[in-house]
Amino acid sequence: MRFLLCLKIFLVLATGHLSAADLVDVPQLAVLIDRHLDERMKAEGIKAAEGIDDEAFLRRVTLDLAGRIPTVAERQAYLDQPDSDRTARRETLVQRLLSSPDFPYHSRNQLDILLLLRDARDDAWREYLLEAARDNRGWDRIFREVFLPEDTLSEDLRPVSFIKQRLNDLDALTNESSVKWLGVNIGCAKCHDHPLVDDWTQDHYYGMTAFFKRTYRTKKGFLSERFEGLPKYTDIYGDEQQPGLMFLTGAKVEVPPLAQVGDELKKIQEDIKKAERDDKAADPPRPDFRPRAKFVELALTDHEKHFFSRNLVNRIWARLLGRGLVHPLDQMHSQNKPSHPALLDDLAADVQASGYDMKRLVQAIVLTRAYARSLRLARSSESNRPELFAVSMARPLSPRQLSLSFRIAAANPEKLTGLVGNDTWGEQRDELEKQSEKTARLLTIPDDGFQVPVTEALWFSNNPLIQNDLLSGSNDRLVGYLKGMDSDTEALTAAFLAVLSRQPAEEESTMIQHYLSERGDRREEGMKQVVWALLATPEFRFNH
Amino acid sequence: MNLLNRRTLLKTAGTAAASNMAAVNVLSQPALADELAKQGKHVILLWLAGGASQFETWDPKPGRLTGGPFAKLQTTVPGIEISELLPKMSTRLDQTAILRSLNTKIADHGQGYFLMDRGRVPEPGIQFPHLGAILSHELGQMDSKVPDYVSMYTSTEGRRQGSAGFLGARYNPMFLTEKMIPEDIQRLESLSEVDHQDRAALRDFLAKRFVRELKDASVGSHENAYQRVRGLMASDHLFDIEREPQAMRDHYGPTQFGQQCLIARRLVEAGVPFVKVARAWWDSHGQNFETHRELCADLDHCMSALLDDLKQRGMLESTLVITLGEFGRTPKINGSLGRDHFANAWSCTLSGCGVRGGTVHGKTDPDGQTVVEGEMNAGDLFATIFAALGIPHDKEYMVGSRPIPIADFGSEPCNEVLA
Repeated sequence: MRFLLCLKIFLVLATGHLSAADLVDVPQLAVLIDRHLDERMKAEGIKAAEGIDDEAFLRRVTLDLAGRIPTVAERQAYLDQPDSDRTARRETLVQRLLSSPDFPYHSRNQLDILLLLRDARDDAWREYLLEAARDNRGWDRIFREVFLPEDTLSEDLRPVSFIKQRLNDLDALTNESSVKWLGVNIGCAKCHDHPLVDDWTQDHYYGMTAFFKRTYRTKKGFLSERFEGLPKYTDIYGDEQQPGLMFLTGAKVEVPPLAQVGDELKKIQEDIKKAERDDKAADPPRPDFRPRAKFVELALTDHEKHFFSRNLVNRIWARLLGRGLVHPLDQMHSQNKPSHPALLDDLAADVQASGYDMKRLVQAIVLTRAYARSLRLARSSESNRPELFAVSMARPLSPRQLSLSFRIAAANPEKLTGLVGNDTWGEQRDELEKQSEKTARLLTIPDDGFQVPVTEALWFSNNPLIQNDLLSGSNDRLVGYLKGMDSDTEALTAAFLAVLSRQPAEEESTMIQHYLSERGDRREEGMKQVVWALLATPEFRFNH
Repeated sequence: MNLLNRRTLLKTAGTAAASNMAAVNVLSQPALADELAKQGKHVILLWLAGGASQFETWDPKPGRLTGGPFAKLQTTVPGIEISELLPKMSTRLDQTAILRSLNTKIADHGQGYFLMDRGRVPEPGIQFPHLGAILSHELGQMDSKVPDYVSMYTSTEGRRQGSAGFLGARYNPMFLTEKMIPEDIQRLESLSEVDHQDRAALRDFLAKRFVRELKDASVGSHENAYQRVRGLMASDHLFDIEREPQAMRDHYGPTQFGQQCLIARRLVEAGVPFVKVARAWWDSHGQNFETHRELCADLDHCMSALLDDLKQRGMLESTLVITLGEFGRTPKINGSLGRDHFANAWSCTLSGCGVRGGTVHGKTDPDGQTVVEGEMNAGDLFATIFAALGIPHDKEYMVGSRPIPIADFGSEPCNEVLA
């Protein structure tokens, strides 16, 4: 029965024409994803790694959905559940995290990294993203609001930041719009046709700049477009080329003849210049023909290559599984095929039909078996081929995840219970978000092939903030809580639960008891050092 | 970047050196020979932030309308003349090459800085590493006990810049900004030396359990970073010039630039591959000549002191000293007796390692308006720097599927100034 149902889903998905009514349940979507992955593993003769236990799953999924480690209370509550079915238990947990106050904060923080890269400290923009995440706003709507902020009725200025930040650099605006929203890096094609990828020519590059070339910002802060301006470039043969407006797919947009000429056009140009300089100047007229709006339209109606939906799927996939179906994430082209083409097609069709519902996609992925695999290969002889997703990857925490997790791990577990028995968690979480800001800004945003800088290890080893604040012996900190415990075993177990969300192994317990016994005369100092050592492990630094 | 592979190479090379027979075989393999050629080499970059005037330093034009008030000085190398503002350097050019033909075109601080620190103009979608990151990647050792990229910057533009870009955060610099010692390199007094050490050992023990059988480069870099902490802390004395004899401190002089040059020498002596010392306030839009009279005295003294010291210690052969800024200054003297930004015909110097001393490359016209001979751009300068250090200038990094040559496409080293 179940198989038949899946088959039907598969057929619907495969045709690529889905409407919202055809959408399968999320758990079924998860099954479909695993089926695609299993198929390829089977074909390649690779055995998947073991699944992780509940304790490990809780930590992994809480970091991914709430952007922080679980609290001791949350862990206890999860493991204490009566003998329910494991799948049902995980589904309930995921549901709960997705509707927690944490989820929008984490989504916001991830989107902020993707779109602004923290280059600018922009509270209004972050507030806008948080609001969008709280509404679970569709990715297409966010796209429209970010690229055409002048079209929203309230003239909400907040989403303007993505463009504003890049407005004085047309190359950056063009390429980053393409990289972040369409998964395509065309920077290489600026000076010559892409040497390795036939897909991208100089016409593509300059054709894409044409969508943004006319954009300007008034002193008042509004975006608008000029009435004229098209890119020109000199090709490698020395000939001047005018590609017009051309999208990645090669689709061209006809530029209508300009109604305004001569003095009328001159007057508009002067008005625009004035408005750029003077916040008291009248708003200049807006042109009927708006290249930037054409870009949005073409991206959302690209039924041939589906760059927009495929990029969304690929980025969320990579965030949760450590690597894209297309890898690297900005290299979607014919010579860099997805690891699982049919899977990417299916998920792109699904996300599009769901109204670009990111929460649905996230939920489906974390419910797969692939998401819950161990970091260790099934057989040590197995070669690790990350593109098969047969084994999970250790993923470095983002600055926010790490900074929030420091705060939670180092807190008195009785005072910070998280989602369990806590009506005021939303407010506490907001407070934590603010407290973690400073530390987060010190840390490096992980990129592909991330390396932990030595300055981070030095900072964590010697900065007074760590020793005096995080590891303080006050009542609201973990060290303060531990020092009140009579037995070392009890205290070290509590430290493991708070920091690593697991029980200590025997060898660890023995070692730490020994460590503490040597410091019997200064027990609080001993506790501090143990907590420091736990926080400084890769087991804490990574999501695994 | 295949770091593991590089490490293996170094190891293999080390082993081979123990047996002479094997060493010969190893050296016949070009890759290994390259590795050996780069070992033990260091770079000190004296960065003249704001842009020093070529007229008042390496390419004087006295008597011309553009020349300014200062005379030129015959140096101890026959045929080479420099500004009278650099008298000490005029007797120390035997291991220095002057490049007088830089045409780098960009005369804006931000963009000029980008160009002269990365050797190429920005390109959308890719983060190019700084010279320091490239060289610490090329010359450093993975598990080095000393920092591999120290950047001293106390004022003006460019402060706290220096991202390793696509090479990864492993090669980010350690900055000295407010203090003469990097942040977080010294132990807090509230934690004893023994506890600090034991705590680190406990961390290692706990980490090993997790890392076991995990072949993950990112996790590995975390362990590498923590492994280096104690070594780096032990190198804190390198930043303490009190440990130098008074005579040596007097030799470098009392200025901040002098003290930082001395720290730089201490660092490279201890094995740090790349140190950048910035000397600011060269941006002389007004009172160019007064400014240069003062700053050139500092540069002349400190650069001479550094070269003498390196030479005396037998380190100059393995240490390249680069004196460079983001651009030069205009031939035209403006109404405030200043010179403005100018990138079409300016100078820099290379001294020591791999450099043919006592040479001048390139030539500008009599007024210093244009380059008339041996024109070089930023890529060519970088290629020359790499070549001087024994790094092939056409070596490529793979970024995704894209090969990025270490010196910009089409650049060539200036062989005339290479030993």
